[in-house]
Amino acid sequence: MNPDKFIVFVVDDDARMREALTELFESIGWRAAAFGSAIEYLSFPRPPLPACLILDVELPDINGLEFQKQISHGDHPPIVFLTGHGDIPSSVRAIKHGAVDFLTKPVTEQSLLAAIQSAVERDRIAREERSELETLQRRFDSLTPREREVLPLVVSGLLNKQAAAELGISDVTLQIHRSKIMQKMEAASLADLVRFAEKLQIPITHSRRTGNS
Amino acid sequence: MVSSIFPPERYAVPAGIGCAGIALAWAVKDASGLLVAVAAICTYGGRRISQLSTAAFAIAAAALPVLLGWTGLLEPAVNLRLATFLAVGAGISAVILLHQGGPLSGHEKPEPRWLALQESEQQLRVLVDTIPALVWCTTPEGKPSYINKRLTDYVGVTLQELIAPDGSRSLADVHSEDRASVEKALAHSIQTGAPFRMKYRQRRSDGTLHWTEGRAEPLRNSDGTIVQWYGVCLDIEDLVVAQEALHDRERELSLLVDMVPSHVWRLTSEGEPTFFNKRMVDFLGLNVDDTDKPGISRLTAMISAALHPDDATAFRDALTRCLSTGRVFAMRYRLRRVDGTYRWMSGRAEPMRDHAGRILHWYGLCHDIDDQVHAEEELRNSERRYRDLFHYMPIGLAQIDAQKIIPLFKELRAQGVTELKDHIDEHPEFLLRAVEALEVEEVNQHIIEMFGAKNAAEMHGPITRYWLPSMETIRRSIEARYRGEEVFREECKVARVDGSVIDVLFTTARPGAVSNKSLVGFIDITERKKAEDVLRQREHQLQVLVDAIPAFIWCLTPEGTPSYFNKRVTDQIGLTISDLTAPDGSLRLESVHPEDRPTVQRALIHSLATGEPFALKYRQRRGYAHYRWTEGRAEALRDESGQIVQWYGVYLDIDDEVVAQQVLRERERELSQLVDMVPSLLWRLNPDGEPIFFNKRMIDFLGMDVTDTDTADSGRLAAVIQAVIHPDDVPSVAAALNRSIGTGEPFAMTYRVRRADGVYRWMSGRAEPMRDEQGRIAQWYGLSHDIDDQVRAEEELRASKRQLEQMIDAVPINILSFAPSGRLIYASKRYMDTVGSPPSHIEDFDALARDIAHPEDFPAMFRNASTGFATGQPFVNRFRRREKNGAYRWIEARAHPLRDASGTIVQWYIASIDIEDEMRAQEALRERERTLRQLVETLPAMIDCAAPNGEPIYRSRQLREFLGYEFEALDSEGKSRLQGTLEASVHPDDLAGVRENYARSLSTGEPYARRHRLRRCDGEYRWVETRAAPMRGSENAIVQWNVICLDIDGEVRAQIELRSAQEKMARASQAASLAELSASIAHEVNQPLAAIVATSYACRRWLSADPPNLERAGITLDRIIRDANSASDVVSRIRALFSQSGKSRTQVDMAEMIREVCLILADDLAAKNTQVETVFSPILPRPLVDRVQMQQVLVNLIRNAIDSMEGIVDRPRLIRIRAFPDGTESVRFELQDHGCGIIEHERVFDPFFTTKQNGMGMGLAICRSIIESHNGRLWIPSSGQEGTTLAFTLPTETRASA
Repeated sequence: MNPDKFIVFVVDDDARMREALTELFESIGWRAAAFGSAIEYLSFPRPPLPACLILDVELPDINGLEFQKQISHGDHPPIVFLTGHGDIPSSVRAIKHGAVDFLTKPVTEQSLLAAIQSAVERDRIAREERSELETLQRRFDSLTPREREVLPLVVSGLLNKQAAAELGISDVTLQIHRSKIMQKMEAASLADLVRFAEKLQIPITHSRRTGNS
Repeated sequence: MVSSIFPPERYAVPAGIGCAGIALAWAVKDASGLLVAVAAICTYGGRRISQLSTAAFAIAAAALPVLLGWTGLLEPAVNLRLATFLAVGAGISAVILLHQGGPLSGHEKPEPRWLALQESEQQLRVLVDTIPALVWCTTPEGKPSYINKRLTDYVGVTLQELIAPDGSRSLADVHSEDRASVEKALAHSIQTGAPFRMKYRQRRSDGTLHWTEGRAEPLRNSDGTIVQWYGVCLDIEDLVVAQEALHDRERELSLLVDMVPSHVWRLTSEGEPTFFNKRMVDFLGLNVDDTDKPGISRLTAMISAALHPDDATAFRDALTRCLSTGRVFAMRYRLRRVDGTYRWMSGRAEPMRDHAGRILHWYGLCHDIDDQVHAEEELRNSERRYRDLFHYMPIGLAQIDAQKIIPLFKELRAQGVTELKDHIDEHPEFLLRAVEALEVEEVNQHIIEMFGAKNAAEMHGPITRYWLPSMETIRRSIEARYRGEEVFREECKVARVDGSVIDVLFTTARPGAVSNKSLVGFIDITERKKAEDVLRQREHQLQVLVDAIPAFIWCLTPEGTPSYFNKRVTDQIGLTISDLTAPDGSLRLESVHPEDRPTVQRALIHSLATGEPFALKYRQRRGYAHYRWTEGRAEALRDESGQIVQWYGVYLDIDDEVVAQQVLRERERELSQLVDMVPSLLWRLNPDGEPIFFNKRMIDFLGMDVTDTDTADSGRLAAVIQAVIHPDDVPSVAAALNRSIGTGEPFAMTYRVRRADGVYRWMSGRAEPMRDEQGRIAQWYGLSHDIDDQVRAEEELRASKRQLEQMIDAVPINILSFAPSGRLIYASKRYMDTVGSPPSHIEDFDALARDIAHPEDFPAMFRNASTGFATGQPFVNRFRRREKNGAYRWIEARAHPLRDASGTIVQWYIASIDIEDEMRAQEALRERERTLRQLVETLPAMIDCAAPNGEPIYRSRQLREFLGYEFEALDSEGKSRLQGTLEASVHPDDLAGVRENYARSLSTGEPYARRHRLRRCDGEYRWVETRAAPMRGSENAIVQWNVICLDIDGEVRAQIELRSAQEKMARASQAASLAELSASIAHEVNQPLAAIVATSYACRRWLSADPPNLERAGITLDRIIRDANSASDVVSRIRALFSQSGKSRTQVDMAEMIREVCLILADDLAAKNTQVETVFSPILPRPLVDRVQMQQVLVNLIRNAIDSMEGIVDRPRLIRIRAFPDGTESVRFELQDHGCGIIEHERVFDPFFTTKQNGMGMGLAICRSIIESHNGRLWIPSSGQEGTTLAFTLPTETRASA
């Protein structure tokens, strides 16, 4: 992987551990940042890269699992837990809440690096998806209110005239709207548009069959 | 003349009778005679016969009563007389009547021829009466004998009336003016017989006078004698009147002709002058006749004589033509006046024709038109002058043709418009028409220039062009004209040809009879206006100036009426001119202070009357406020003749100055008072030294003034000195004064001065010169101060001092007195006797003390004395003093300073008494005491003696040594020794209980017994048993407490250790579950291991890199080693937890270690914002410790302290570490934090006790175990809300491990 393309965060209260991990990552050639507490980590300005968070459970200011729960809302990087004394309940909880892995110290290089890679990959995908969604959302926002009304009807599969009738406008007008939508949404085809709509979670409110919702 | 009218014979008889009557009356004395006279006189005018008969009767009538009276028959009463008179009168009248008509009249009886004659006479009479002529006849003498009836009717007179008394014709009816001539003519005619013919005026019966022509011709008889004159009067009134009228007319006409202011002349039909009227004659100086010259015609002559040569020919020709043609002649020509001047004449002649048309005469008229001609010329000249005037007048003049406006006016008047103004208001277009109707006909040069026109023609035409700027003015002028006003004048603006507007004074006049023209004048008043503006501005400026200048200006008329106040006055006083003018026109003085009003009034009146300037100071009110002093001045302005035109006045506010003056006067007064009130005698000398001023006090004191000592022979100064200074002091005072005066040095001296009452008093006199700018002495100012009391006091003092000395000498105490400097002032007599007088070289205390004090005692006593002298505190010395005989005896010397009123030490008095005996006694006592003490001291027990209140009096040596301090050490702390001891020495934990017990015992007297810890001098607390028992004196009162302390520490400690060991064992047996222990171990070990693993990976990577990064690999390996070691350390520690081995112990500088540890933990400290403060005893023993373990302990403790303060925000997070020797055998370390404290002091040391959430609770247990393995102790001395203090001790080398 390209080292510039992601970053690894380490949060552990043990300085030795921080030091060691950082050294390890550096030796690989990965970019890393280590913090002694959750607060420190949070206050660090996160670069717009895929990332991974190596989180110790025993943190001075907050329990790691708690922290996981807290940051689960938002675009925080996937977490890899690393702890001195792991117990089954903790690990289960961690995984259930979306952690990539729950490792115990001392950790083997292999498992650690694998977990990190997995996490980073996950993050990348997530980022990509997010970015895509953002684009779509931007495009959607550029639609006029009228067009926003037309879109659900179109992606519901209604015929032009059905949709027009639904809105009380003329066929021609609807076609104009439709072509505008296609343009703005940068959809190559209706199928594309439908996919976009799905991603944007635009509800299918109508059906061709009955012509109404 | 008289005789003709009053012929004598006629009166002779009546006169005679009258006289006879009077004589008779006189003779008989009766008035009856008078009657006779009266009767006689009545007969005047009658004929002789009648007269005689009348007389006879009258006499008879008169005599009768007289006779009767004589006879006495009848009384001659009045009635009788009257009757008689009447009878006589009747009789006379009868006689007269008879005489006239009767036979006694002497007429004869008529005959028949006489009758026929009478009849013809009658007919003649009738004829004569009827003919329309007035006929009259007179006798040749002239006496009228007959007048006809007509005459009678006409004239209204009778014949008789016509007869004058002298028989001639009475001329009563003739006009008085004509009477003379008529009479003359009459007389002439009568005399000469010439016919009489005369015209005269005669009065008619109706009173009017008519002209009459009277003619009379005599009738002569045959012999030519005049028998009768016959006359006729003809009324020629009409004729005369007509003639007169004719005359008058003729005269008038003639007059007219002569008076007509023209020359009237007549020519014959040929042209010859026949008549010149008077005027002409006067004028020409020649009459018609004068023109008669031989050879030439009259006309020619006249022409040549009278006519101007230039006109002669024309005249002649014209006249000749007219004469020939018969046409009317009219011409102008010059005629020569009599004085030679030629005058223009206008001549005109017309022919007078008869009924056939033939010219009879030429009547000519020429009148003087010279004046007229000249007048014409004049007029022409004046017209020309006027024209010039018009044109060259320095005002603009224009003639306006108002022709067209007249009909407009007429129209309006016909409509009944009376006031043009109203009409124009309603019909504005009328104004325009009116204005257009006015045309400029003629303008003068000035107007052309004024209006900037090129020529006059440009100005002609309607006036609208110029007057647009001031239509109002023109309107008003038209209105005025309508009203019929002749003149109108107004200032207005007009537009010049170029459009600019100028100010002009516009006047119009309607020239007299010429109604259709107007003369308009323009006066350029631009300049005037400018000047006016400038004037106004200047006036305004002046006004502003007058109002602005900070002076108050007022003007009065010569009579005193206020005429002007400037603005300041009005503002200041708040009154205007009208307010200040009294009804009688004088100035109201309301604003003047009532007290000053009369003076001001008087002064004003005086000034107004005399014309003298007015200047006065008085108080004036400002507005409604207080009065201020003001100075008012006024002067009169006179004209050339010296008459006062106006009074101009100002007034200035001098209040401040007056007030200042008053203040100054006040101050002067004060000063003067001061000088007099100062309780010293003040005097002043002039530069020569002569006294010139004594202040009041001095005058009162001396009883005299400066001048009172003046004598002729000596100077004043000497005289004064002589008079007032005490005789003994006079020379010195005089000398000193004179010297001062001479040298200028200040004079100061005390001397006695004689008071007014004769008493001499000491005075301190000083005098100093006052110099002017050049440094010369201007005055000497002297002050004499009564110091008599002072002097006397000093004397008394001296006296008392002497007394005192005597007293001192009597008292059996040695007294010395020293000056504050230490100098010996006085030694009492006794001293001298006892000690001997000090050798001469000894002058002060130091030397004296050295000399007489015992060498052993000298240092102390000297020190004490020095301190005393220095501080001023009284001191007491006890020392051995050498006496006169050489022996030393103990003395007690008490020194006391004598202070003056201000507190400064004046003298030291030292009194000494012999205390030798006492000293000896004391020594014996002390000896005994010492013995006793030794006894007590040697006892092997800690003994304490306390006063009944508990204060320690005595402590045995053992106790003292034990405590390590003396009583005195506690003394300064402000509490009792007991308390101090207790606090200092009793273990804090036992203190409260001990105090309580002790207090109870002290109060109740019960014996006291208690076990507690007592702090030994080395700081160690040892268990002691203290027992106290009261010692009672007389009356069973406690006089002393005797206390004994027994050291039972060993036993107690043994007991405690035993207990603790038991507990420890018990605790140790509570072995924790292996899992948890191992978990903690694991954790402790795991950390470094995990780090090692990770670092190893890193190292491998570094090594596998291309090229291998050996440097980084090396770093990582170092880390691995380090971590591995630390893991192994942990293991060792764990092991050490359960072992008590003492190997690997070294003597460690604990302070250093602590510092190291702090450094190690620096990050943590910083992260937690915690400070560490270390307080190490300067000399800190080095205990024998296991470095690693100890480090561990310290780290743990410090970490605990950090953690404990985690949440603290209200105070600084501070860890205070102290280290100090604890006793001689150990070092004590205290760790104080500012956390929230630990409640369970001992429980924290339990292996599994933790207050931390995630703590294992091993830290403190391990620490304690380590410490105890070192034979130290770890405990918590105190813990509270403010923080916890942890302490541990380590044995030093002197107490090796047990």
